[in-house]
Amino acid sequence: MKKKWRRGASLLKSDSARIMLMKYGISLLVTMLLGSILIYAQGVDLGYAMAEVFKGAFGNLYKLGNTLRWTAPCLMLGIAASVSFKAGVDNLGLSGQCAIGGLVAAVIGYTAELPPVAHVLLCVFAAGFSGMLYVLVPAIMRLFFGINEFIVTLMLNFVAEIMSEYTVDMILAATGEYTSATSTPSILSSAQIPIMIPNTSVSYSLLIAIVLAVALYVLYKFTLPGYELKQTGENLRFAKVGGVKVVRNFLLIFLLSGFVAGLSGGVEVLGVYKKFNVGFATNLGWDGIMVARIAESNPIACIFVAFIWGALKAGSLQIERVTELNRFTVECMKMFFVLMVSIDYERLYYSVKYAIARRRRRNAGKEAG
Amino acid sequence: MLWEILKTTVYASTLGITFRSAAPLLFGSMGGCFNQTSGHNNIAYECVMLFGALMGVVGSYYTGSPLVGALGAMAVGIFISLIFGLFVIVFHSNSIVVGVALNSGAWAMTTLLMVTLFGTRGSVTGKDIISFPYLSFDIFARVPYLNTVFNNKIILVYLAYGMIFAAYVVMFKTPFGLRIRGIGQNEAAAESVGVSVAKYRLISLALMGAFVGLGGCCLSIGGLSLFSESMTSGRGFLCVASMIIGGGNPLKIALVALLFSFSEAMAQILTTLGLNGLLVSTIPYLAVIVVLFISGLRAFKGTAELE
Repeated sequence: MKKKWRRGASLLKSDSARIMLMKYGISLLVTMLLGSILIYAQGVDLGYAMAEVFKGAFGNLYKLGNTLRWTAPCLMLGIAASVSFKAGVDNLGLSGQCAIGGLVAAVIGYTAELPPVAHVLLCVFAAGFSGMLYVLVPAIMRLFFGINEFIVTLMLNFVAEIMSEYTVDMILAATGEYTSATSTPSILSSAQIPIMIPNTSVSYSLLIAIVLAVALYVLYKFTLPGYELKQTGENLRFAKVGGVKVVRNFLLIFLLSGFVAGLSGGVEVLGVYKKFNVGFATNLGWDGIMVARIAESNPIACIFVAFIWGALKAGSLQIERVTELNRFTVECMKMFFVLMVSIDYERLYYSVKYAIARRRRRNAGKEAG
Repeated sequence: MLWEILKTTVYASTLGITFRSAAPLLFGSMGGCFNQTSGHNNIAYECVMLFGALMGVVGSYYTGSPLVGALGAMAVGIFISLIFGLFVIVFHSNSIVVGVALNSGAWAMTTLLMVTLFGTRGSVTGKDIISFPYLSFDIFARVPYLNTVFNNKIILVYLAYGMIFAAYVVMFKTPFGLRIRGIGQNEAAAESVGVSVAKYRLISLALMGAFVGLGGCCLSIGGLSLFSESMTSGRGFLCVASMIIGGGNPLKIALVALLFSFSEAMAQILTTLGLNGLLVSTIPYLAVIVVLFISGLRAFKGTAELE
């Protein structure tokens, strides 16, 4: 018993474990503190609000399903962001690529008449490829003209949203259907991704997302191309000297990131909404970026962070229903958490550690002298 | 049709809208150019601008004076930029992540504040929110064309154009500007001659916060007396884009910012001509990409490269 405890203690003595603990511990603590101030300021009992968030996320099977339903897109976009961040590409245009993917999937979903599985596959791949094509613009501008990709991808977000709204308008005008001004007609049943857990809104898209995360983990951990991709991001010069084709890799990363983002839009449309709603991707893209940053671009960690993100999303909808609280409170808490996690704890930890060591040495010197 | 579109580019109303709508972009990019030059990859402009817009309305609502609103907007801008500085300079966070978090949090925070203070979702308006008064000058009033372009604007618009020259002088003719440029070119070298990098970065951040906030309040209490959810709609990003293209020279940055606001004005005017409003409203964003592309042509060497 004692030995076991000691082993645990020695695990805590390693610097990296302490940094991890510090990072998530401090972040969670500060987020909770600031969040409780926010909740208190709105005049709602803190414990009650927290309990409602928890109930909304895990209260029963249906609510757990809601959490998982939101986990899927957060995870997929988190993966898309991880791929690009790991390689040092600032792809901030995830929401644009996601929207374009969703639009293409919805259009093919309600026009083409195909057998069920083929239809879904066609829609999903078309969504992925359109996301890929959309990211080609910033990729070419970066590689051939040396233009920073983050501003281009950002602007393309706005363009994608407006253009998709325009396309939806055109489709509605052509079909003469004026059911809803901001969405396409529903997709055919052959294109729908079926529900995975009965009586919930969890479709097989969650499975796709998890498979993708694991595949990516394997790619990075165990294969040569994955190692080369990682090297390109971590140390470009080293990779170049080592004979890695950095330009090709850079392009691949862009395309892969765009593909996954487009795919996530397509899967979201086919699995959840069954039609394209204008603006459904706007916040999802940013969620993906935040998930990737919290998970430090690790695909497996992304699964857990995306799950928490999904729980927060489901919980925030619940607290708006049952309490006086606004659901933006939870959005604000997300922001606090991302801000706190972004701190360079490694640097902080070592600077504190060395400061303590220095003081100790000085004190020892004083006592001796 | 093409002729008609060409004619609209010199309409007095087009240039009038350009003249007015350039104000937030000019404030934002002139205030931010020091911050950009000193080497921060700061994209939190959208956040600061949105908060500035909200604070302008709040200050004006509670005191009845738009001036207080503008000061409040500057104060909240400085506050947020110092939060950014706290994370990026003191804690060494990745500046893009901090920017993303602040930008996506800003929408939630401002909406939350709007709901708590005014009790409405969507937008706030009312006669208690007082805007800056319109000014008009006799010199311009005599010529109808100039009258439409330059008159009946709030004082902040004229100040924004003054900012261009102020920023130019500060950037190129003062020790402060010299040090900022030095830090941007080589941080270590600047540090080695005794320039406190952190101090100058903080000052430039505070400048950015104050003026981007002021730019934000041009949107909300610059005549409309209205605040709506995420009303900045990418203008903060347009500031960042114009600073990236302008490359640290306030005159160039101002030119690019004017180009963006011209495309914004064209979008408004073309809609009235009966063109599809949605398609036309992509013009400012596409203009960013086109201008970036043209400015990048010089770097084109025929092959794909990475340094």
